[in-house]
Formats: sequence, C-alpha cells, structure tokens
Amino acid sequence: MNYDFTPLETALFADVATALKNLPADADPDSRQAVLDKDLLCRITGCLAQTSYLRLGLEPVADLNGHLTLMGAMEALACRSPSAYLAVEASTRLFGRAVAGWGDTARKARWLKPVLAGDLIGALALSETFTHSANQSLSTCGEKHGQQVTVTGAKQYVINAPVADWIAVAGMLEERFALFFIQSTTPGLFIDTPLETMGYEGTAISHIRLDGCRIDADQVICPNNGQNVPEMLKMWENQILLGAALGISGAAFETARDFAKTHKSDGKPVIAHQEMGFKLAEMFTLLQTAQLLAYRTAWTMETNPVEARELMWCAKVFCTESAEQICSQALQVMGSAGCVEGNRAQTAYRCAKYNQVTGTSTEIARVKIGDAELGYRE
Amino acid sequence: MDFAFTREQQMFKKEIIRFAKKEIVPRVQEHDRNEAFDFESFRKLGRFGILGLHFPEQYGGSGADVVTTVMAGEALGEAGVDGGLTLAYGAHSFLCADTILRHATEEQRQKYLPRLASGEWIGCMGLTEPDAGSDVASMRTTAEKKGDKYVLNGSKIFITNGPIADVAVVYAKTDPGAQHAGISAFIVEKGTKGFDAGPPLIKMGVRTSQTSELFFSNCEIPVENLLGAEGEGFNMSLQTVEWDRSALLSPFVGAARYMLNACADYAKKRRQFGRPIGKFQATKHKLANIRIFYEAAQSLAYRIAWCKDQGRPLNHLEAAVAKLFVGDWSMGPANDAMVLFGGYGYCHEYNMERIFRDSRLAPIGGGTSDIQKMIIARLI
Ligand SMILES: Cc1cc2nc3c(=O)[nH]c(=O)nc-3n(C[C@H](O)[C@H](O)[C@H](O)COP(=O)(O)OP(=O)(O)OC[C@H]3O[C@@H](n4cnc5c(N)ncnc54)[C@H](O)[C@@H]3O)c2cc1C
Repeated sequence: MNYDFTPLETALFADVATALKNLPADADPDSRQAVLDKDLLCRITGCLAQTSYLRLGLEPVADLNGHLTLMGAMEALACRSPSAYLAVEASTRLFGRAVAGWGDTARKARWLKPVLAGDLIGALALSETFTHSANQSLSTCGEKHGQQVTVTGAKQYVINAPVADWIAVAGMLEERFALFFIQSTTPGLFIDTPLETMGYEGTAISHIRLDGCRIDADQVICPNNGQNVPEMLKMWENQILLGAALGISGAAFETARDFAKTHKSDGKPVIAHQEMGFKLAEMFTLLQTAQLLAYRTAWTMETNPVEARELMWCAKVFCTESAEQICSQALQVMGSAGCVEGNRAQTAYRCAKYNQVTGTSTEIARVKIGDAELGYRE
Repeated sequence: MDFAFTREQQMFKKEIIRFAKKEIVPRVQEHDRNEAFDFESFRKLGRFGILGLHFPEQYGGSGADVVTTVMAGEALGEAGVDGGLTLAYGAHSFLCADTILRHATEEQRQKYLPRLASGEWIGCMGLTEPDAGSDVASMRTTAEKKGDKYVLNGSKIFITNGPIADVAVVYAKTDPGAQHAGISAFIVEKGTKGFDAGPPLIKMGVRTSQTSELFFSNCEIPVENLLGAEGEGFNMSLQTVEWDRSALLSPFVGAARYMLNACADYAKKRRQFGRPIGKFQATKHKLANIRIFYEAAQSLAYRIAWCKDQGRPLNHLEAAVAKLFVGDWSMGPANDAMVLFGGYGYCHEYNMERIFRDSRLAPIGGGTSDIQKMIIARLI
C-alpha cells in the first residue's frame, strides 16, 4: 500500500500544468473563440507531446503507472483548461486509444503516431439519437463494395468533429460492431457548425451526418469481434470524465479558497467566517474523497480490469456529482465576484453538468451498480 | 500509489468475518434490545487477538501494523457486529490501551497491556466533561500534586466503557490557569478511593456499549500514574484522535458492505407488484448509493492508517477529512438501507434500524463534524 505519487509522477503533473503556459498571451482555450482555433489545439497537443502525457494509457511508459499516473495528469490538465483537456482527450484517449488497442502496425503508423506527436487531431463518434445512454445497437452502418465501404448514418455531440483531421465513426458492418476511420475531407461526411454548449465552450462539439461516405476497406477496424466494444468506449469516456471532474473541482476549490483568504468582510477574510470556512472544508473533503476514489479506480484498471468496471461507475457518479457541488459552493463563497465571467470557478461550474450526463450517465450508472449488487445480468 | 492489501491481510480479513459471523453476530440483536454489554463477545475478541492486535508481542499483542488494525475494524462491521461492541473495542484498545502503550513506563505496560489485550480487563478514556466537549481546553477536572500523589477532582461524561472499566486513562489539568498546555494524562484504576462511575446512560444507538459519567472526588493516585510529563496530555489526546478517525471509523465502512449484502438479499426476495423490489430502479439507486459511500469512504480510513504506518505523526488534515466524510455521509446509506426494508426496516427484527441508530454517532463522537470543518478550514 502507498498513498503517495512518486516524484516522477509529481514532476509530470507539474509539466502538464505548465504546458499551457507557453501559449500566446491572448489565447484562451476556454473561450468560445477557441472553438475553431485548430492551431491553438495543435500547439497544446504539441506542448503535451513533449511530456509523456499523450502516451499514458496507450502504451507502456517507463517508470510511470499507466492509468493511475494518467489520472493524476488528466486532473492537472483539466484543472488548467477544461476545454483544452476535453479536446486533447477525445483525440488521444478515444480516437488514439481505439487505434492503439485495435489497430495493426500500419494503422498505428498512420493514425496513432501523429496523434501522439501532437500532429493529428482525432475524434470518435459513438452517440446516436436513440443510443446515447443505453447503447442499443447502432443505426449507422457500412456496406461493403469490393475493396470499399460506404458508410451511412448520423452521430451527435461529437467532440472535436469540427476540427478533427480524422473521425472514427462507430457503426455496424455485416452485423458486427465496426469503427470506420473517415478523413474530415471525405465526400459524404457533413459536419455541422459547432454547438454552443453551456460548459466546455472552447471545445468544438457538433453533430455529423454520413451520406454514402466511401472509404477504403483498410479504414475499417472490427475490434474485439464486436464484443463489448460500446461498453468499453463508454468506460474510456467515463475515465476522461473522471479526470475532468477532478480537474474542475480542484480549479473551483482553489479559486474560492484563494478568494476567501484575501477578500474581507466585517474586517476579516471571509474564510474566517464559519459559514464560509465550513463550506470550503466540505468542498475540500469532497475533493479529496473524489481524488482517492478516482485514483483507486485508475489503479484497479491496471491491476484488475474486471473489478474496475463497477468501481468506475461508482467513481463516475461520486466524482461528477461532487464536482457539481464543489463548483456550486465555490460560486457561493465568491458571491458576485463568482458571477462575473472569466474566473476559473465559473468556467468549472458550467462544465460540471456535462460530466454527469455524458459517458455512462449518473442515473444509468446507478442502475448498473444496483444490478451488479443484485447479481442481475444486463 | 498502490492500494493493494497483502495476501495475509486479505486472508486475515476473511478469517475475522468468519469468526465474527459465527461467534458474535448471533448475539448482537438481543444485547442491543437489552442495552447490555456483551462481556462474552468482548473476551472472544480478546482471544481471537483483535483487542491487542497492534500491541507488540511482549505485551500480549500481535504487532500488527495500523492498516491491518483498521482492516480488522472494517471486517467486524462487514460481518454485522454492532456499533456498540466496535465502539467499546475502539475505546478500549485505542483510546485507552494505545495511550498506555505509547506513554506509560515499562512496568505499567507489563501490568496493563497483557490484561487489556486478552479482554480480562476493560479500559476507557475520559476526556469529555459536562462543560468541556468540543472545547477540550476548558476542562475543569484538576490533578493537584501533593507529595508523591496526585489528587484528582472533577467529572467526565459520555465515557465509553465507563461503568465496566477496570482501568481508565483520564485527562486533567495540572495547571488550571493554562489552556491546552495545562492538560496531563493519568492512569486511574477501578476501586481507587474517590473514583466512581455513574450508571449507564440510555442512548439512541451503540446501545451495547456502556457509557457513563466518571466522578473524581479527592481521588489520590501515585505520581507514577502520570503518563509522560505534565502538560503533555493534550498532544497525547491528539495522537489517539487519529485512531478515532481511522480504526474507529472503519467499522462504519464495513457496516456499509454489510448493509449492501443484506439489502441485495432482501430486494431479491421481497416481491411487490408481481416482481422482486430489486427490479425497481429506485431500489437499485438505493443500493448504488450505499455502494458508492462504501467505495468512497474506504480509502480515506486506510490513508490515515498508512500515514501512521509510515511514521508520519499527526495527520490532522487527512484525519479530519476522513472523520467528516464518514460522519456526515454515512447516515444517507444507513437511511437508504432502512427504507429499502420498508416496515421491517423500522422494526427490531431486522437490524437495519439498529445500524441506522448506530450510524448517528459518527458525526458526534470523537469530535463533531463541525469541529472537523473547523480543523480543515484552518489548514487548507
Ligand atoms: C456514545 C458516545 C460515546 C463517547 N465516548 C467518549 C469517550 O469514550 N471518551 C470521551 O472523552 N468522550 C466520549 N464521547 C464524547 C464526545 O467525544 C463528545 O460528545 C463530542 O466531542 C462533542 O462534545 P459535546 O457533546 O460536549 O458537544 P458540544 O461541544 O457542546 O457541542 C454541541 C454542538 O455545538 C457545536 N460546536 C461546538 N463548538 C463549535 C464551534 N467552535 N464551531 C461550530 N460548532 C461548534 C458542535 O458541533 C455540536 O453540534 C462520547 C460521546 C458519545 C455520544
């Protein structure tokens, strides 16, 4: 047992946190202006590529603990910029991970290598109008024509779609689950304008439509014989959302605490008033509890992937719901100052809901946990 | 980071659960209803090696590390041992015996620890007073040095094991003018002239533990019974507080696992509207809430244990966070479990109402949730 990160891990977290410091002074990855700023996103992935961040969880990295180290690093990045974090993660830990896990050498060279170098932005399109929560079978499908495949369907809320070089589209091919790798310039692929979202304003998210989109057969991967793939993809999403929840919780807490120590009321810092000090204490308690649960979940992903499934649902619910509470309390502590746009607590607050409703939604996660306790099969 | 338990620890946990289910749990409900301390079960804990688990072997213990000790508490909770017995064990082994282990003379250790480890003697710790609870420094019990004796005067309240204890660790002011620095700790034996315990208080939960006042009226004890030096008492109490916030919390964590198992069994058997209530999403949500608490609380308790094992003294922040979380968040799952059992949950026949009552102590005993928030707010 050991409850400390190693010095190497701590150093990585610091590197990740400072990676965004090298951006131009007027660049704000969390603003709406950043949505279509692909250069900015590439600069960020480029900076992160200088560290081991992008590779974690996708390939072994010497002296680091895979998913556990990754969770700490994710937290560090999400704390600095939730929007940049989500975009980087969608490219790396969804698109990149699909290639890392299921691609052959040629496909890895084609798609994974540039993702890890920060040169390629990827997206993964899974959700459909009627399949976003429960994962019924997908209506997007491919049809084989000799060495080519025609893909037809529609996907919603695809992170990075408007800025991606490549999109991995989940669908069915000959009644098996398949991932169709589609370049953004391919005829028949229609990418909507970015959605105006409540949180993650700097992340480009949009719906896409595939209308007889023709791709080569070697742009199709049929992972795992189609077994459990949608669920696995949800787990990956959940992992990303855990990192996001920790990051925004930390950002909101730090902002509120620093405010409460410097802002005075009745001649003393507001933290000295019990109502405020106690709120911060509750926020801190939730933050630390969420951190430990997320780290243990990540550690279990390494040591016992089967057990990690249920733990991930528990962590998803606890960490994302705690994040919303922490962010809400942060704004309460900050009073009117919290309502003025541009502070980290408010940015975090606006992101908090997204983390609960995407991936395995907290309601579905609770049902799954209950089923697991009851021994009911899904 | 590494959250793994050793194979030995895992096996030991299973053994404790097996032992407790067979030897202790069948007796719990009856003792709870009668508000009676279960001496037999307590001694069985001693014989099994739990009471002195972390004492060195030469004092009748097993020399276990803190993580293993915390795990033993979790295992008792998981087996279904009631909060009264686990509280009695905690007050005995940690609040009383551990203070003797750390601060007494070798002669005193030899005298008390083997008896405490076996359960032959029962220990208690007196810190809280009628007018000094959260505000420990305002205690009024005094210990005046007269020649080769200290003379104790004052009273203590809410003392776990008070009515049945053979030996007490008692905190009193040797310098009444000073605040924390005026507090010292003493060993007081049952039967000492001028030392008395009141009758057991009637409590909402943890009913099998006996709680009472302690009275000191010109109670003379030899100077050797001073633990450590004068004025060191407050720091000693802080050290025991970490036990309060790890080993004494872990039975609450284990109890969540117990509730989960019991609730899942019940939800599969109990049928309403033509199907098991487990098929309703609302039932699954309750189970999920209990499970989430169980998973979230675990690491907090073990983190302090691990810090203690690393020789990191006084982990106030970690300890307060664990106490606050388990204290304030454990009541929700206990409530969910009781409600899941419907009318039976409210009746003594099933033990959900007992667990609910027991859980209400978590945000009060060993420092209230408010005090934890005060500590955290100061340290963040
Ligand atoms: C079953 C049981 C077993 C116990 N066992 C022992 C034992 O073995 N040994 C022992 O010494 N003690 C024991 N205690 C005592 C326990 O530790 C105290 O009850 C606890 O510390 C609170 O003290 P109090 O009851 O005097 O409450 P008070 O200190 O009077 O507090 C009353 C209320 O005021 C709040 N409050 C107090 N100060 C502040 C503040 N500064 N800011 C905000 N809110 C505040 C508290 O949170 C609480 O809600 C036991 C208690 C119980 C119920």
